[in-house]
Amino acid sequence: MGHALKMTVSIEFLGMQRAITKTNKIDMAITRRTRVIDALEHVRREYPDLHLDERTVLITVNQEMAALDTLLNANDTVSFLPSIGGG
Amino acid sequence: MRILRQARYEPARVVGGYTDRILRVDLGRQEIAIQELPPDFKDKYVGGRGYALKLIWDGTTRQTRYDTADNILVMASGPLGNEPGFPGTGKFIVGTISPLTDTFVDSNVGGHFGPLLKLAGFDAVAVSGVSREDVVILVDGDAGSVSIAAAPHYDGEADEGSLSFGEKLLKDAGGGEYSDSLAAVTVGKGARNTRFGIVNSLFYDRRRNRIRCKQAGRGGTGTVMRFKGLRGIVVRSSLSKANGNNAVDREAVRQAGARLKEVISDCDHKQLNLGAWGTTGLSEYMDKFHLFPINNYQYGQSPESSRLFAKVFLEGYFSKKMPDGCYYGCNLACAKGAEGVELTRGPRAGRKVNVDGPEYETVGSVSCMGIFDPHFVLEYNWYCDEYGLDTISTGVTAAFFMECFQRGFLTAEDVGYELTFGNIEAADRLVHEMASGEGFGRVAGQGVARGKKWVAQKYAARHGTSEQAVMAELNKFGMEVKGLEFSLYVTKESLAQQGGYGFALKGPQHDEAWLIFIDQVHKELPTFEHKANALKWFPLIRTWFNATGLCKLPWIDVRNPEAAGTSEPAKNIPTLEYYVKYLNGTTGSKKKLEDVLDDSERLYILQKLINLRQGKGTRASDQIPLRAMGPAYLNEYESRAEYYDKWLQEQPGGDKLPASPEQRHRLLMEKRMQAYQQLCDIVYEKKGFTSDAIPRRETVRTFGLMDDQAKRLLDEFGV
Repeated sequence: MGHALKMTVSIEFLGMQRAITKTNKIDMAITRRTRVIDALEHVRREYPDLHLDERTVLITVNQEMAALDTLLNANDTVSFLPSIGGG
Repeated sequence: MRILRQARYEPARVVGGYTDRILRVDLGRQEIAIQELPPDFKDKYVGGRGYALKLIWDGTTRQTRYDTADNILVMASGPLGNEPGFPGTGKFIVGTISPLTDTFVDSNVGGHFGPLLKLAGFDAVAVSGVSREDVVILVDGDAGSVSIAAAPHYDGEADEGSLSFGEKLLKDAGGGEYSDSLAAVTVGKGARNTRFGIVNSLFYDRRRNRIRCKQAGRGGTGTVMRFKGLRGIVVRSSLSKANGNNAVDREAVRQAGARLKEVISDCDHKQLNLGAWGTTGLSEYMDKFHLFPINNYQYGQSPESSRLFAKVFLEGYFSKKMPDGCYYGCNLACAKGAEGVELTRGPRAGRKVNVDGPEYETVGSVSCMGIFDPHFVLEYNWYCDEYGLDTISTGVTAAFFMECFQRGFLTAEDVGYELTFGNIEAADRLVHEMASGEGFGRVAGQGVARGKKWVAQKYAARHGTSEQAVMAELNKFGMEVKGLEFSLYVTKESLAQQGGYGFALKGPQHDEAWLIFIDQVHKELPTFEHKANALKWFPLIRTWFNATGLCKLPWIDVRNPEAAGTSEPAKNIPTLEYYVKYLNGTTGSKKKLEDVLDDSERLYILQKLINLRQGKGTRASDQIPLRAMGPAYLNEYESRAEYYDKWLQEQPGGDKLPASPEQRHRLLMEKRMQAYQQLCDIVYEKKGFTSDAIPRRETVRTFGLMDDQAKRLLDEFGV
């Protein structure tokens, strides 16, 4: 009998987020119905001090822009980046 | 101090952000005069940039160069430059004909000089002529006097330095004590010996109980000041800084300021965290997206970059838990500083110094030289400030020569030592040589554009080849446009930012347009039309901040959550509305954002006319180095071959890739060059220019700029 492979995504933390979470990334188990919003909620539960606001973060999946309802696939890397406008 | 000339005056009161007066000083004739402006002058030529542009347009000619007596050095704040109730005020600009570009340059700088000058009764100070001896100008609003004095001699170090001279000058002027009623601008020996000397803006910081400095860094404004024999200007006013603009509607200003402070307070710590980290926080994000310049922009990412991320500076150097605004009332407070940093190299090795910075650009200047040592960043920062050198042009010029060395265009015999990437000792030596005008520093201090010619002559003579052929090669990686060195972002993968640098009227500095993220990462500018619209809109609003005496960071780097509900979140319109209210509350105008953009566009067109007159205004002057468009050499292509091949496949007809890497690289660069030319066509049309980038007559007329000089100029160009 084989075991079903567990599907996960990585959520990476850069800059100020890393300073608060004290880690470069965390893994999150997903199903075929997991979306970006679920990853965001997961981070909010795990790290309430991050105060991620979906109105101001730039969401990327594998370094490409994504929306809150984007479906996640196994081994994706999700980031919630700050907006950067340049000085 | 030995006073050479003194004039008495009755300080004008600031009303609605203006005094309607310019202090004119001719150092050649030792004349001091006050120019009274008609009330409508400020409406047409807004604030710092507007004043400087109009003075340069009227008062200089196409023969004017940085070192001719008729060149004018203008320092001017704007109507919004002095309000502690609103974040990010206190800015002023230094504008002049640049030694690097031979055309107009303005550099935006913080500190207390602009606000105090205004309180002392002047919207601007404009200096012309060349003094026979080194002098300082003293503007004393309390005493009602303006003096030209012989530059005081303190000691060997201060007489050559910018920071050390300024510290002593301010103490001198304060009767032996520092005071927040005093501020100064100074230059150092780097301004005498290079074309990229800066003007330091020094002020007393009560919290740190020391003199701090900010820099008008770009374009060699300090070199102009030093050439005029002007070592410093001190300004004094004891008038209250509260309501410094003397707003027409104080309550409207208070409300707008409170709203912006609230957004910053609620959002910055969740976003870029500039209040804690300063702009060094950018390094990590730039590296992540291949935008961090490594080895003269050959690469945008390095495994060693993390040694230059914000955490390193925060934990190792920055004084923590201390608000660090460069002017009163700014709760973004991103002007970081470090105390007691021990110098390990150079003539002051062993001494502990106070460093203001580093900013991201200084960090990027060091990575551009292939160096990833954070302590060197601090030392480099301090020495450049003390010598009065632009950290950007210094680093980018050094990196250019390092690449010349790498590719065999330069030898150790030419330089006097091995000038290789990552070689801290060589980089350090070159900085001191540039500042002193000694050794290879004499060549490097001329900047990249002139450095290319020097290398081409040298190499062509040695190898019996044509200079033209060598120049063609050097043009691929000499990172300058119009004579100004690039600021520190890799543009290879953002066509919009290539335009942002190429079309920038002063040369490739990001204060006109920084579109990398919304283009390359957000993908909000998918078409040429989108990019062209952004390349018109952003320069207008961004340079309006320079015109009015404001810092743009509270707008552009703190995203207002309400922007999410707008059609173009990157413009952060809800925050911009606070600025329009602040403007109207201060001056009594009833402007809308569209009016603000029109005011700014008038200045933009005027600057374009100056560029045209000075030989830097046509399409040819907007062309960028190959490296700015993509991987100039095969080694760069190969470092991201998978990415570039995918990019090629996504282009029309990209289903069949050429077989060899060399062919794919060539095809890639052909497509990039075509795209840039296509962008030029569309952007010029959008801006009201001909295809050769010359403003059309109706464009000039629309903004009321068709004077006799403009008519003659357009006639010459057949427009």
